[in-house]
Amino acid sequence: MQTITLPARCDRASLIDLLSQLRAAAGEPVMVDGGKVEQAGQALLQMLVSLRKSQPESMILPSPALRDIARTAVLDRFLFDEASQ
Amino acid sequence: MNSEEIQAIFFVECEEALAATETAINACRDGSADAETINAIFRAVHSIKGGAGAFGFDALQAFTHAFETLLSDVRDGAVQVTDALVQLMLRALDTLSDHVTAVREGGEAPLDAQLLQELHAAQAQNPTAQAATPAEEAPSADVTAIMDDMIDDLDFDLDAMLSDLGAPDAAQDDDEWMVHIRPSDAAMRNGGEPVLLLQALERLGGRGIACATQGVPMLETLDPEQARMDWTFAMPSTVSEAEVSDIFDFVADDYLIAFDTPLDPMPEAAPAPVEVAPVTDLPPPSPVDPVAVADPQPAAPIDAPATRSAQPGSRSAGQSVRIDLSKLDRLIDSVGELVIAQAMMSERLSRHGLGAIEELVLLDGLTRDIQESAMAIRAQPIGAVFSRVPRTLRELETTTGKKVTLKVSGEQTELDKTVVERLGDPLTHLIRNAVDHGLETPEERIAAGKPAEGTLTLSAEQRSGRVIIRVADDGRGLNRERILEKAIDKGLVDPQAQLSNEDIDNLIFAPGFSTAATISSVSGRGVGMDVVRQNVKELGGRISIETQPGQGTAFVLALPLTLAIADGMIVTVGDQTLVIPLAHVVESLRPTAGQVKSLGASRRMLNVRGQFIPVIPLDQAVGARGAKVSPTEAVLVIVETEDAGQAALLVDGICDQRQFVIKSLDTHYRSVDGVAGATILGDGRVALIADVDTIVANAQARAQLPEAA
Repeated sequence: MQTITLPARCDRASLIDLLSQLRAAAGEPVMVDGGKVEQAGQALLQMLVSLRKSQPESMILPSPALRDIARTAVLDRFLFDEASQ
Repeated sequence: MNSEEIQAIFFVECEEALAATETAINACRDGSADAETINAIFRAVHSIKGGAGAFGFDALQAFTHAFETLLSDVRDGAVQVTDALVQLMLRALDTLSDHVTAVREGGEAPLDAQLLQELHAAQAQNPTAQAATPAEEAPSADVTAIMDDMIDDLDFDLDAMLSDLGAPDAAQDDDEWMVHIRPSDAAMRNGGEPVLLLQALERLGGRGIACATQGVPMLETLDPEQARMDWTFAMPSTVSEAEVSDIFDFVADDYLIAFDTPLDPMPEAAPAPVEVAPVTDLPPPSPVDPVAVADPQPAAPIDAPATRSAQPGSRSAGQSVRIDLSKLDRLIDSVGELVIAQAMMSERLSRHGLGAIEELVLLDGLTRDIQESAMAIRAQPIGAVFSRVPRTLRELETTTGKKVTLKVSGEQTELDKTVVERLGDPLTHLIRNAVDHGLETPEERIAAGKPAEGTLTLSAEQRSGRVIIRVADDGRGLNRERILEKAIDKGLVDPQAQLSNEDIDNLIFAPGFSTAATISSVSGRGVGMDVVRQNVKELGGRISIETQPGQGTAFVLALPLTLAIADGMIVTVGDQTLVIPLAHVVESLRPTAGQVKSLGASRRMLNVRGQFIPVIPLDQAVGARGAKVSPTEAVLVIVETEDAGQAALLVDGICDQRQFVIKSLDTHYRSVDGVAGATILGDGRVALIADVDTIVANAQARAQLPEAA
């Protein structure tokens, strides 16, 4: 499973690059390593939601900060539960 | 509008809120406060808190929250307004102002731990105070589990369902209410971050109930610039809709907010998603038109009164525009060129006997109108500077133990933006000196038969094309004997010198002069007044002193309305044409032989109604050739100077009196002693602007050299 690592600060520029990588995976499940993420927002959350919809078998490993952001957005269980199991 | 511009609006509103808070707290201090006064403070602090949450300024938000909680108790009557509370509120205001400055300028947040403790201690007497503390609990696992089971059942009444199931968290607050939030694409495009606002809702005690994700498309069609999710948050009954609206106040146009009445479901992304979010709130269709996401005024919202874009139109749109200062400066430059071009045309037409034609008069009037309008755009009320004074006084009261009442008038008087910006430091120096040196201690004042509390009066008014600012105290007045003694001690004045009262007063502006017995943190280092005078001079202004022993001292600043265009007298000196700024000119005359007396080999004095003033040939100062040397054949322009009193400038003749555009020599060439700048005359020639203060001071210094030798 291909691993894609998220930067600490997931700004718009890094998200465009991330989207390219996810699309390049051509439908194969990927492992998104978000262990370094310190700063993220709605755009990243939407991308991860889209990944989960497009590739339900993909896994997302969150940092505490990313998990907290997702919890605020009521998305933590949807996005990360598989990774934590 | 980008996020920087939105933040700029927030900071402008912060300043207004801080000013409103200060006014209201002062009303509390004066005993003239009523319920509305406390409400005004609460609203102002609350407004700052809302914006702070929206932009993620956590320290500012935390501080405003503590301040607001105490204010809430005061508003409810649970905490009484006492002198101690007023003092606490004033200190909280100062720290709040520091917080705002810190976030605006990207600096360190002020140390507020001690003050936060005091704010908490003051509110701790109120048993209901804790109700305003945000609940930080995350949604319980039970509720989330229940919600998980509902993911396929999109057609439900969340509140009813929770109630039926006896969800423990929901049961804790029967009055909990729902707010639905949908960011538009603009909320993300503008550099905004919706998640920050969700976090702000959490800090208010809200908790996320649902996130609708059916609008999020597959990766192939995902556009990271588009907002495709919305949220439902449960808010505690202690939080009002207004408080939630405040969070979105500065990004109102970018969000659709609905209270209790759910939003229309966001259209599903095609193709239909395989999965949806575990917690999804897709209520039945409501009368609210989802198109309202991009429209702050939803169409026909008659039966959906709870739905609105957050606080649309709360600001007075259209009453002002923000403009880049460099664009404004370019406009001012162009207007300056227009003034020059108009003068040139006037000059040329005059040569052909057409100097008084109607069209030229019309153009002259229009040019002046345009120039004044352009200058008015740069003009700012001096109140921007005066507003900082109360805080300075509070700090001085604490440091010196003196009590001061501030009286302000003329805050709306307008000055050029640059002048306003650079006036802050000299004004602060004057106020510090007035309180530290001018005002007596309460004991001394009572002994002198004065009220224990001193009075500082700040006033501004426009007079004869200049702005006059007075900083007056009702203190002891200048002690001329002591000033003279000190000046002699420091070698600033010859012990035998005969000085007028005005000369003695002006000694306090001498570099290194101070009569303070001890150097305090407030003043007494002998640099302040010198710097004040230099600052005022750099602004093209002058400062003078009015003092009465036992009654007080006033420092009077005369400043130009603008730094770009001024009125001047055009004079000829030999082969040169010069401009003497009209602000210096007292009168002009051609003396009789009896009015001019020789003093030594080269100096001449002019007798003006019994007062002798030195005659200074201007040709020597500017290197002009062929100038008239006899005062009786020339014209003497009597000028008032900053340091050297009056002097008579010897010129060949006066050509005109008109507005002139000031061009900096520093920018275009280099600084030249005795020359304040240059301008372009109507005939296209460049004329130097005389730096009257320097020319007279240099001439006086040269004249004294042989005597000293």
